[in-house]
Amino acid sequence: MIAKTSQGSRAETIKQRLKPKWLRLRSLLMGRGMRSGLVARMIVMILLIDVALIYVYPILYMLSTMMMSTLDLVDPTIRWIPTELYWDNLAKAFEGLKYWHGLGQTVFIALIATAAQTLSCAVAGYGFARYKFPGKNLLFMLVFLTFIVPPQTIVIPLYLLYRNFGWLNTYYPLIVPEMLGLGLKGSLFIIIYRQFFLGQPQSLEEAARLDGANSLTIFARIMLPLAKPAVLVVSLFSFVWHWNDYYLPSMFISNQDMWSLVRRLQGLQQTLDEIYDVNPYGLSTMTEPVRMAGAFLVIVPILVLYFIAQRWFTESIERTGLVE
Amino acid sequence: MKLKLSLAARRSLEGFLFITPWLVGFCVFMAYPLAFSLYMSFTEVQVTATAINFTHVGWANYVHAFLGDNVFPVQLANFVKESLISVPIIVIFSLLVGLLINEDVWGRGVFRAIFFLPVIFSTSQVITTLFDLGAGGGSFIQRFNVFNILISALPPSLNEPVSAVLSRFTLVLWSSGVQILLILAALKTIGSTVYEAAAIDGAGRWESFWKITLPALRPFIVLTTVYTIVELSVSPFNQMLGLINSHMFSVRTGMGYAAALGWIYFALILVALVLIYTVGMRKVHRY
Repeated sequence: MIAKTSQGSRAETIKQRLKPKWLRLRSLLMGRGMRSGLVARMIVMILLIDVALIYVYPILYMLSTMMMSTLDLVDPTIRWIPTELYWDNLAKAFEGLKYWHGLGQTVFIALIATAAQTLSCAVAGYGFARYKFPGKNLLFMLVFLTFIVPPQTIVIPLYLLYRNFGWLNTYYPLIVPEMLGLGLKGSLFIIIYRQFFLGQPQSLEEAARLDGANSLTIFARIMLPLAKPAVLVVSLFSFVWHWNDYYLPSMFISNQDMWSLVRRLQGLQQTLDEIYDVNPYGLSTMTEPVRMAGAFLVIVPILVLYFIAQRWFTESIERTGLVE
Repeated sequence: MKLKLSLAARRSLEGFLFITPWLVGFCVFMAYPLAFSLYMSFTEVQVTATAINFTHVGWANYVHAFLGDNVFPVQLANFVKESLISVPIIVIFSLLVGLLINEDVWGRGVFRAIFFLPVIFSTSQVITTLFDLGAGGGSFIQRFNVFNILISALPPSLNEPVSAVLSRFTLVLWSSGVQILLILAALKTIGSTVYEAAAIDGAGRWESFWKITLPALRPFIVLTTVYTIVELSVSPFNQMLGLINSHMFSVRTGMGYAAALGWIYFALILVALVLIYTVGMRKVHRY
């Protein structure tokens, strides 16, 4: 088989050599068959760079603005590069966010919620993928339904429910639903797991059963370890989304000490006004770099995590059969 | 006495046990709130210091939403128009980016890393803050006069949503992170052998895109569209959600009315999704 292809490609090169020069140039530039030529590659490259700029622009803007002093900011000749690196903004944002405290809260909640969701959704996804029982399809429709219900539709009853439970101003509303496979995009994760488990061979379980393993052992010892790519994808998504989660926590937790970083960022302007008692003139110019610095501080841990995990992440997505 | 079940019955019971935690959660945190908010939408809710009173008002909230309220119908129409513009933009954009990154270009890893940035940012308040402070570069669209001419040529009913989408154009593109992932993963499912076979039969890249890639991607494009609509309908930039929220704690209208608006909004999205799904998937089954 290998010999055949190499023979074929040798024939190809011989043919190429016999061709007139301009034709060879043309095939280099425009490509032949499935191979793209230089021109096509250049166009793809330019398009990619263009689009990448759209994505990078706000981040560059953030980085540049947060390093500017007020003088640089009002100077019309300075657009991108500040005259000197001005660290004061970061320091103010650090203080205004009560950064270490907020970071601790955010990491704590995001980790627990992610662990809960990664496990509970795997259990549900496994049940949906590998068993037959009456009403299964109907129940799976309900999983889809859960995915598309806007949180605003159910937030009031949830609020009343949590008040009855005595869960307001606690972390329970952010953790208990996650433990049961609901919560932030839980249905999406169930669907991802189900897709993954559907793709595994049936013989695995049959062999284990013959060896006397029960269903729980099979799930915990064989299927879950197999599902590593899916676990990775789900836990990363879950962590990032919990990190950024804003709406529901803002409804159920009013105690500022318990706020996550994202919510502290939202309240940063007010906090800054309280701390520094800025004069009313040009207030937004004054605090813009500080809020930029705040945004940077909130997103930077997750950005670091992303750049570390990015490679496994994209590979795992390809291997989960997410879309089959 | 030990209960004896047939093997099949035992298996289905076990399967049912696996999804029981989810089912419990669904009943408590989804089904009950949904039913309760449906009930609330037919009542007027009065919150007093000691209790919450529900007065049954029939369809009054729904009638008021369309006939009495002069903000909601306008906002809803704007939301529909904006979605009609931004959903295709996002889907086509993710398709293009997915196809481009799938190409074998230099620095592909870097581009991938950049294009998945929205996955991190898009749900976040951080990006809202950035755009509030003018980091969106929205003005770069307005710098092109073409767009202004284009906008002024449109009928007034379309004028507003189109310029709204354009002014947030970068923002619209920022909501396509997961969609790009979906398309990319879908492209991986098409084996290279199909393209090789087509090339042997003399098909160029152009033909094989229209005859192989696009048909194979169709179900995933439908999926992407569905996902995009769901994302947009719960995104923090969505004005509808802000409107519903503001009614929730308004003294004049209250929670009952907010629940009714929530249900109208949900019903609209549900109908749109079912429509797209059935139409999009039906065509696929002809193969």
